Amino acid sequence: MKKILLILLCTSIVISCKKQLEVGNPNVPTLDKATTESGFLSLVQGGTYINGFQQGAEDINGTFYDGVPGHFWSGAIGFHDLMGDVIGAEAANVFLNQLAVPEYVTMDNAVKVNNPNSPKKQPDLIRQVNTNANQGQNFLYHEWTYMYSLNKASNRSLALVDDVAFGGNAETRKDAIKAWCYWWKGFAYARIGSIYYAGIIDDADNGTNGNYVTKEQIIAESNANLDKAAALLQALTDDADYEAIIGRLIPNFFKLGKGNVPTPEMWIRSINTLKARNILVNKTVASMAGEDWNNILTLVGNGIKANDNVFTARSSADFLTTGTVAIKSSSTLAGGSTYKVSERLIQDYKMGDKRFANNYKQTVTWIGNSDRGNIFNTRYALVSGGNGMAGVVVINNSDVGEGEMYMAGTYEENELMKAEANIYTGNTETGLGIIDDLRTYQGAGLTPVKGTGLSVAHAKEELRRERRVVLAYRGLAFYDARRWGISEDISRGGGRTNAVVIDADGKLNTNATINYNFLDYWDVPDNELAYNPNTGTVPVKNPK
Amino acid sequence: MKKLPIILLFALGALCSRAQQKITGIISDQNKSPIPGATIKEKGTKNGVSAGTDGSFSISVKQGAKLQVSAAGYETKEVTATDNLALALNAESRNLTEVIVTGTGVATSRKKIGISVESVTADKLPPAPTASIDQALIGKIPGAQISSTSGSLGANVAILLRGVNTINRGTMPMILLDGVEVGATNLNSLDLGSIERVEVVQGAASASLYGAQGANGVIQLFSKRGKQGQTNIDISSSVTSNDYLNIGGLRKARLHGYNTNANNEVVNAAGVPIEFDPLFGYQENVVWASTDPLNKTDKPYDQNLKYYDHFKEFFQKAPTYNNSITIYGGREKMDFNISMSNNHQVSNLKNNGYLNRTNFSANFGIELVKNLRFRTITQLAYTKNTTTLFDRTVIYSLNNTRAFADYSFKDADGNYLLHYGDAPGVNGSNPNYELQYHNKSDDRLDLLQSFDLNYKFPKFVELDAKYGINYSKRDVVDLYKNQTGNKNAVLTSPTDDQYHTFGNDVPITGDFVRLLNGNTQDFTGELDNYFFNTVFQNFLATATLRADFQKDFGINIPLKSSTQFSFDYRKKNKKDYYTYGYGVPTYEPYTAENVTDTRVIKNRTEPFVTYGFLLNQRFEYGEIAGVSGGFRTDYSSAFGRGSKPFTFPRGDAYLRISSFDFWRNANFSNTFQEFKLRAAYGKAGIQPKPFDRYITLNPIPFGDNTAFYTAADQPNPDLSVEVSKELEIGTDMSFSMSKNSAWFKNANISFTYWDRSTDNAIYRVSFPPTSGQASYLDNAFSLGSHGIQASLNMNLYTDRKFNWNFTTNFGKQTSKITSVSGPEVVVLSAAGSSNYVLKAGEKIGQLFGYLALHSIDERDADGNPYIDKADQSKYTVASNGWVVDKATKQPYFTPKQYSFGDPNPKFNMSFINDFTYKDIVSFSIQWDWVYGSHLYNQTKEWLYRDGIHSDYEKSFSIDGQEGAWTAFYRGVYAVSSRNGTKNYFYEDASFLRLRNVSVAVDLAKAFKIKGLKRLQLVLSGRNLVTKTNYTGMDPEISSGNTTGNSNSAFDRGVDHNTMPNLKSYTAGINIGF
Repeated sequence: MKKILLILLCTSIVISCKKQLEVGNPNVPTLDKATTESGFLSLVQGGTYINGFQQGAEDINGTFYDGVPGHFWSGAIGFHDLMGDVIGAEAANVFLNQLAVPEYVTMDNAVKVNNPNSPKKQPDLIRQVNTNANQGQNFLYHEWTYMYSLNKASNRSLALVDDVAFGGNAETRKDAIKAWCYWWKGFAYARIGSIYYAGIIDDADNGTNGNYVTKEQIIAESNANLDKAAALLQALTDDADYEAIIGRLIPNFFKLGKGNVPTPEMWIRSINTLKARNILVNKTVASMAGEDWNNILTLVGNGIKANDNVFTARSSADFLTTGTVAIKSSSTLAGGSTYKVSERLIQDYKMGDKRFANNYKQTVTWIGNSDRGNIFNTRYALVSGGNGMAGVVVINNSDVGEGEMYMAGTYEENELMKAEANIYTGNTETGLGIIDDLRTYQGAGLTPVKGTGLSVAHAKEELRRERRVVLAYRGLAFYDARRWGISEDISRGGGRTNAVVIDADGKLNTNATINYNFLDYWDVPDNELAYNPNTGTVPVKNPK
Repeated sequence: MKKLPIILLFALGALCSRAQQKITGIISDQNKSPIPGATIKEKGTKNGVSAGTDGSFSISVKQGAKLQVSAAGYETKEVTATDNLALALNAESRNLTEVIVTGTGVATSRKKIGISVESVTADKLPPAPTASIDQALIGKIPGAQISSTSGSLGANVAILLRGVNTINRGTMPMILLDGVEVGATNLNSLDLGSIERVEVVQGAASASLYGAQGANGVIQLFSKRGKQGQTNIDISSSVTSNDYLNIGGLRKARLHGYNTNANNEVVNAAGVPIEFDPLFGYQENVVWASTDPLNKTDKPYDQNLKYYDHFKEFFQKAPTYNNSITIYGGREKMDFNISMSNNHQVSNLKNNGYLNRTNFSANFGIELVKNLRFRTITQLAYTKNTTTLFDRTVIYSLNNTRAFADYSFKDADGNYLLHYGDAPGVNGSNPNYELQYHNKSDDRLDLLQSFDLNYKFPKFVELDAKYGINYSKRDVVDLYKNQTGNKNAVLTSPTDDQYHTFGNDVPITGDFVRLLNGNTQDFTGELDNYFFNTVFQNFLATATLRADFQKDFGINIPLKSSTQFSFDYRKKNKKDYYTYGYGVPTYEPYTAENVTDTRVIKNRTEPFVTYGFLLNQRFEYGEIAGVSGGFRTDYSSAFGRGSKPFTFPRGDAYLRISSFDFWRNANFSNTFQEFKLRAAYGKAGIQPKPFDRYITLNPIPFGDNTAFYTAADQPNPDLSVEVSKELEIGTDMSFSMSKNSAWFKNANISFTYWDRSTDNAIYRVSFPPTSGQASYLDNAFSLGSHGIQASLNMNLYTDRKFNWNFTTNFGKQTSKITSVSGPEVVVLSAAGSSNYVLKAGEKIGQLFGYLALHSIDERDADGNPYIDKADQSKYTVASNGWVVDKATKQPYFTPKQYSFGDPNPKFNMSFINDFTYKDIVSFSIQWDWVYGSHLYNQTKEWLYRDGIHSDYEKSFSIDGQEGAWTAFYRGVYAVSSRNGTKNYFYEDASFLRLRNVSVAVDLAKAFKIKGLKRLQLVLSGRNLVTKTNYTGMDPEISSGNTTGNSNSAFDRGVDHNTMPNLKSYTAGINIGF
């Protein structure tokens, strides 16, 4: 009898206890909170900025993330500027001090200093590092992961957008969100196709596929998405509904300088500039056909204008928490920051360029450990906030929210593409004039080069230097080194001569030869292949 | 339970009939305290009396009768009845008569259990300087790997009982205090002095009664109770001197290989001697041609750069003080034990504060009405930790600093310098700087309170209800003062390319890992407050039905039955609240109100509820055999969708072969007295973490709005509890070897083999990055372990004066991953960048890395030479045994990574000897032996980076060229992968350690001092001797305490600037009134 009573008692305990079991996670919102207009906009915004550029590759265990290079805008982009010889690095994290060490440097006295690392050639290093077991130490992993995370977040938003009840003109609002998503998908594919040998095209909101396609197909997919965005934007106007969406997706702390909400027309111009980049950076200049230059000219002709708002970002307590490439390159003393300013960048400033004077200072020469490479040593520090010269561009301001970071195309990039296309299509003087205008725009204080009778070769050198100094710290430098052939092996016409190098003994060389010999397009990261093997026929490894 | 043998004796007795005599006497314990209520029986009769409150008794017995004297908590003694009997009972120790509670459901004599349970009484636990229980258990539990993996103040021990059964939750077993779970308080906060004994059940088979939380085993602590008799007062006091161990003689090279001029002055790149600058430290780097094959590390620091012994500068011998007072006693229907103790440990880093813990414990029991007993047990611990520097951060910083940095230097303003430039090393910084600007206070209050109400019906039924609450509250104030006045810091911060970030420095499992210089943006300092609050409740209701078929039902079979039915409810709520402020004023008070900007960076609550029912049925057949079986069904808020219950079955059986007549009648039974075979099978679980199944959005402040992002690591709403199943078989034997000689009196041997598997272990299954997520949790892993454990306890010598006991404990175990659904999963050791790969067929915790070779034509597993035949001529074997490149003098490392094998020990053993002389002098000594363990010496690898390690001075020859070749040592660090995981640093960490040695003299007994029961002087030492080949500071450490998770399932084999254990000398005095 007692046993029965006991069982009855327990049954009642079970019923009352079971209710307690659904504790949920009371600290964070549940998924349904993203189904209202405002919740959905929060999801789209977080999907783009956090999943796309900050949190996507950072897992709970910290397995995929290294605090030294940091998130996308300081890490993945930093790798480009390392390989583009805009910056150097001494820290060993994520192979920073190995991934961009040239195969050898020949000093002024003809002494050839080999890469002290093992392996000595960057392609060999890439093949050694690119294994799943290396996790986030595999530097190939990061850009891939961030950009596919951005793509996946955009896919999710696109899949959900039609189910959300919007206020105002719902169709306009939905189209604005769709344009946003296609734009960022186009951006993601642009970055993937411009560095990886193969990729996947994925429009699903869940899972993935193993059908790898060529880098050319990825770039085509980038353009296709950008075109979808442009088509939607054509039908939009800068009205209250547009502002309610895009003005909400772009956070207020970005809305300074060029970071205000772009009108649909401005945005279409950003799309054109990015599409022009897609062409320019994915062929060597030697292999560019006249048609390519003409296509570029068409695009940049309707590309970003001087006063256009473009896509920028600024730091806050929660965003860009690991800074940007420029922030990680700024210091009080030369070499005092994670990234060290390259002497080759400094030598590309023309004598008397106020942009140099306003942004750099020479300090005690920093000599890194000789076993970490031959070219990282530097005399210069990038100054946060500039040196106070009126009317001259400031490259970086490290203070929270002060520095304006360009995420996609800029007026400068558009004009430089315009100048280059002109020079390469026989309109040298037009091209030089554009360079002069840009220098004036940035407050460089240099004498005009237009009308000085420069040869085509000299005009190209003006352009090269201008691209180097204007687009530094923006993740474009390696594209240039690749398409100009500089990152190639010397035996195939690559390398850089007349380079300024401070050797391990602190001696200043001004006529050094650097043989970078870097792999032009990266293999697909093994972190992907280990879990998503190639089911298609396209090779996922660069045959080089 | 003590009734049982007595009843049996009634049945056997009453055969003789002789003349009566009256016997009087006094029953006392070994300290001469009377034992009121002790039972005195005339053997073989129903005749018996109880001792009075003063321990005295009077009984009429037959001439020459035997008296059996027993009392709860004491060994039963049998003596021939003589008048004026003064009999001292020994406190019950580990032997076959003791009563086991843990894992048995119904308290049962050790003779009659089918599972293996380890137990140890307080008098066998050596008082460690930390006065904590965890340290005292090391080496005491056969089979268990309990290791002290760090000498940091307040560090937890690592406990691995039987195998790795989960990757998700670590190896920590459940802790019970008097039957109630300790769910919020660290084991190391509990006062060793308040504990009477400890029981440990190690596996799923013995812990399946604990259902979804039993798989890692259970450690149950029993707090001290008062004994009936006069009130006792014990006072003890001790002082300890502690010093960091440095077994491998870790130090920095006294020589260097930097560029120098003719005067041996270290010069810059331009050949000018480098100078110390009071603002910048060293503006210029030394020139270290570390890859130059001609460079040798052979120059003394005798000119512009001097050698500083940084260990000597920052480490110190530090004292620990322990004081306690205990009052205990009891009357017929109540007992009490109240104690108060204080443990004060001074940091072994100079000027770095202390850890102070005060414990109060009280245990009251009272019989309210007949058969209704009430007990209340209270443990209160207040811990104050004022240490600012985490010693591991300091040693990391020092080990990244070349020997010439003078960290004691102060600038003209009287400030310490933070950074000394790149020259002494980019990752070094000055601990003195942090001591100047950083203050931390860490206050923790722990309360454990339990109530137990027990009612025994006259027959059959016993009801018991327990309720326990464990409350823990911790407040941490972490202040980085305004540093804008420090010229060096402002000028040289190498982090000036980084932002300050809110919440960048959140504590990781209790330790504060943070930037040394606080606010990295503007040096205006930080003021952070951390509040941790945990409430854990446990309610247990048990009904026990007992029946004796002979006595209760008149059925003539010697069968006894007990049935246990329990309801067990646990609820935990953990709250974390952190505020972060920056912009600390230059004036006091430094409060959150006075800082420029503050923000709440964490405001989280983590509720967890679980409950279950247990039904366990047990039968005993006489003295011969027993069987039990049952199941437990658990519900949990952490179980997958719908919270479906999970049921854990169990069963065990034993057979006492020595109780059969053939054995009893055999001659050898006099010697081989007890032989029991036992077997048990059971399942037990490990709960998923509280939020592992709840899919959510992650909000993040984004300007004026909040953005939602999806976590890269996703939970899984369908997770089920991790179930571990185990079969154990074992035997318990006891021998009485020589009745007449003082030597080899008796021996007890226990042996258990166990085999277990977890088929649905939870861990993160990786996803391809294109899927937009990194991983999700899944019951994807199968783990398998097996092992043996054995113990031998011998009384080697006993005569009236001298007693020698010897115990040895042995454990051997291995765990591997038997299957993974899907591809391998790679995890990194939080201690550095060493990679672990979790894949099927591999041992858990295996490290992968690059191989240096010992012979040029060494081949891989497939028979291919590591070095291409064509290239082999470039290499030679240096006199230090490693293959090196003749031209570069750098070692060869494979480009691919290979497994280094299992770092876990092949076996571990302990040897314990206790000697006593006339209860006056006691001497005990314990050796611990861990064999076959390996450590990845990441500390050394970091020290190799900048040429800091003393190995650089070691000369050897390459192709006949003798020298301390810098390129070799640097190459060990750099070739194939900088700081990559390399076999060169993977070392045998087997060790033999003199864990404990102590000698005690009781002056009260020696000189028969009146009024004192005890006046004992104790001298003891801990970790005094270690034999090992390991070249780091201490072979016993592991990654655990680097990462804050001393009980990680896989991250165990890395020494990454982990603090060594302490060598301690203690002098103490114990006084008993």
